[in-house]
Amino acid sequence: MSARTASRLPCVAELVDAVVIGAGAGGAPLAARLAQAGLSVVVFEAGRHWDPPREFATDERAQSPLFWNDERLSAGADPVAFGRNNSGTGVGGSTLHYTAYVPRAQADDFRLRTEFGVGADWPIEHAELAPYYDEIERVLGVSGPSPYPWGPPRTPYPLPPLPLNGAAQLMQRGCAALGICTSPAANAAPSRAYHRPGIGTAPACTNRGFCQAGCSTGAKGSMDVTYIPLAVAAVAEIRANTFVTGIETDASGRVTAVVAMRDGLEERQPCRALFLCAGAVETPRLMLLNRLGRGPVGRHFMAHAGLQLWGTFDEDARPFKGMPGGLISEDTHRPADADFAGGYLLQSIGVMPVTYASQVARGRGLWGQAMLDHMQGYNHVAGINILGECLPHPDNRVELSGELDARGLPKPRIHFSAGENEQRMTAHAERTMRAIWAAAGARDIWAFPRYAHTIGTCRMGWTEDDAVVDADGRAFGHPNLVLCDNSVFPSALSVNPALTIMALSLRTADRFLKGVH
Amino acid sequence: MTAATRDALRARLAPPPAGARYLTGSEFATLAAACARLLPRPGIDIAGPIDERLAAGTCDGWRYDALPPDREAYRRGMAGLDQTAQAIFGAPFTQLAPAGQDTVLSAVQGGTAPGETWQAMPADRFFEELLAEATEIFFAHPLAQEAIGYAGMADAPGWRRIGLDEREDREPAALRG
Repeated sequence: MSARTASRLPCVAELVDAVVIGAGAGGAPLAARLAQAGLSVVVFEAGRHWDPPREFATDERAQSPLFWNDERLSAGADPVAFGRNNSGTGVGGSTLHYTAYVPRAQADDFRLRTEFGVGADWPIEHAELAPYYDEIERVLGVSGPSPYPWGPPRTPYPLPPLPLNGAAQLMQRGCAALGICTSPAANAAPSRAYHRPGIGTAPACTNRGFCQAGCSTGAKGSMDVTYIPLAVAAVAEIRANTFVTGIETDASGRVTAVVAMRDGLEERQPCRALFLCAGAVETPRLMLLNRLGRGPVGRHFMAHAGLQLWGTFDEDARPFKGMPGGLISEDTHRPADADFAGGYLLQSIGVMPVTYASQVARGRGLWGQAMLDHMQGYNHVAGINILGECLPHPDNRVELSGELDARGLPKPRIHFSAGENEQRMTAHAERTMRAIWAAAGARDIWAFPRYAHTIGTCRMGWTEDDAVVDADGRAFGHPNLVLCDNSVFPSALSVNPALTIMALSLRTADRFLKGVH
Repeated sequence: MTAATRDALRARLAPPPAGARYLTGSEFATLAAACARLLPRPGIDIAGPIDERLAAGTCDGWRYDALPPDREAYRRGMAGLDQTAQAIFGAPFTQLAPAGQDTVLSAVQGGTAPGETWQAMPADRFFEELLAEATEIFFAHPLAQEAIGYAGMADAPGWRRIGLDEREDREPAALRG
């Protein structure tokens, strides 16, 4: 690694108001908002700017470049899978391969410590995010049920729900038999052609079912077809293929410039403010690499309890069609018989064949004729899974390892061991899901233990003793460094994080602009 | 099928390049023999794409911290299969009959395999990684996808019949009920 001092590098770029690192759910809405307010904005994105209709294949292996494939070392008693399991690369970030499943967090999700005496409260309330949830749902074109059966009263979804696929119908059947309330889920894909305000008309979802390997039609509300075009229209520059390696600060802790590699060349971009939105592994990694931040940088890594339960049915389920997460139940948000803090949601899941076969290999250890025989039933397979709260623990963390990557930078090592709360919740969920799947008529039921999403490594709070950023995302010790992605979550929430990251992104931009003007 | 999808599947049907680029000839032969037992169906090259990836030095975004880097893990893993084969049957892995090879693979999967390699590298984790990679390569192949009745690649017009027991004309009929 060459020495990277400011004096040795040519100053190729003019000073800009804001550099945003990461063009995903945390960075894109914020970049659009700042640019619309008249700030000069440059967005650095490590991956490519894809042309989905031309480049995205309906082929899982061909689509693997959408995942964050730089190696992460997974440690602890419950090592978390990375790659396709979470972070993304490319303009759009992980929204390029998210399922489009966008439930809102409920009000009590933000007050876990107050409610249960464990975990952490957020320094902001649900009511503050609600208008941003509304706005994001309108821009993305979210299809969902109105009224929504759970949580506080809310504005109707902009579009009616998407059609139910086989797995969703099976979950509906199993839950009905047990008296569990279900509903078509909220998904960020239009159920009919939809005008995205300020962007253009998005086509109706064609039920390709390939959301987790990239949407080729432009229907899915990923950042590359929503907030990135809004940012570009407001004259933000999107600098793709640009991998940030250095963040320069002055003696007072103010960020002065960002150093990055683009096409093999190092470049330096001076900025008035830096928004670090690289996700809950790369954000703390950049903080640690550049010795930035006070408080527990890298600590309190959380991953949602994500147990999946699979079964084989007599009916043809064709699990590759339709929205993967078609049906939802939040009856388990705060189960009456819980022996744990928090709760979880239930969802039906479709699955692409390579992903499913890989899980059969890892989860059941099937190989040889047994694997071939099992996969003969692929078209009859359907699943359900949970998305559950995870408590923060300081020993679950991101750290720099001694092993260097191709750029000469230390690879991140992530320690994760599920605590008693996660284990109890998972056991409760497995009992519930086995009952649902048995009632739906499944045979050969099997559970795939899993933890998903990366959360909470630079958490927000009130003081630097216990947090890395304040309620506005400002890093303690660095007046012009703002963090905005899942790393700032103080608690995991009992729902998928994407919508809340986007809502937080708009709020963070508004708070910043209020402070500037 | 879209042009991008057709290109991806066509590339996979191309004949594999002869020989190994990263592994030695003997390591490659052991890997090919192991893959032939893990996914026993002729006509789908698994060892080639694994070796190609090792040569390119790419990965899928993560590995167990308990394992060494992939190149080293595969090298040591192939040596380990031979050590286990020698310990149980007194012959290298490639010279065993299929049933003997299965015995070796089961011992590695169960973490009970004899052999010096497995003292330093967790056998069960290595097996899991090998099996997952082999399985992903196998079921990405058009022949394997056809065999399980998968028709997802034919999605250019979209899917309208997506409910239980619903099927469009271009989809194959059910393999079993």
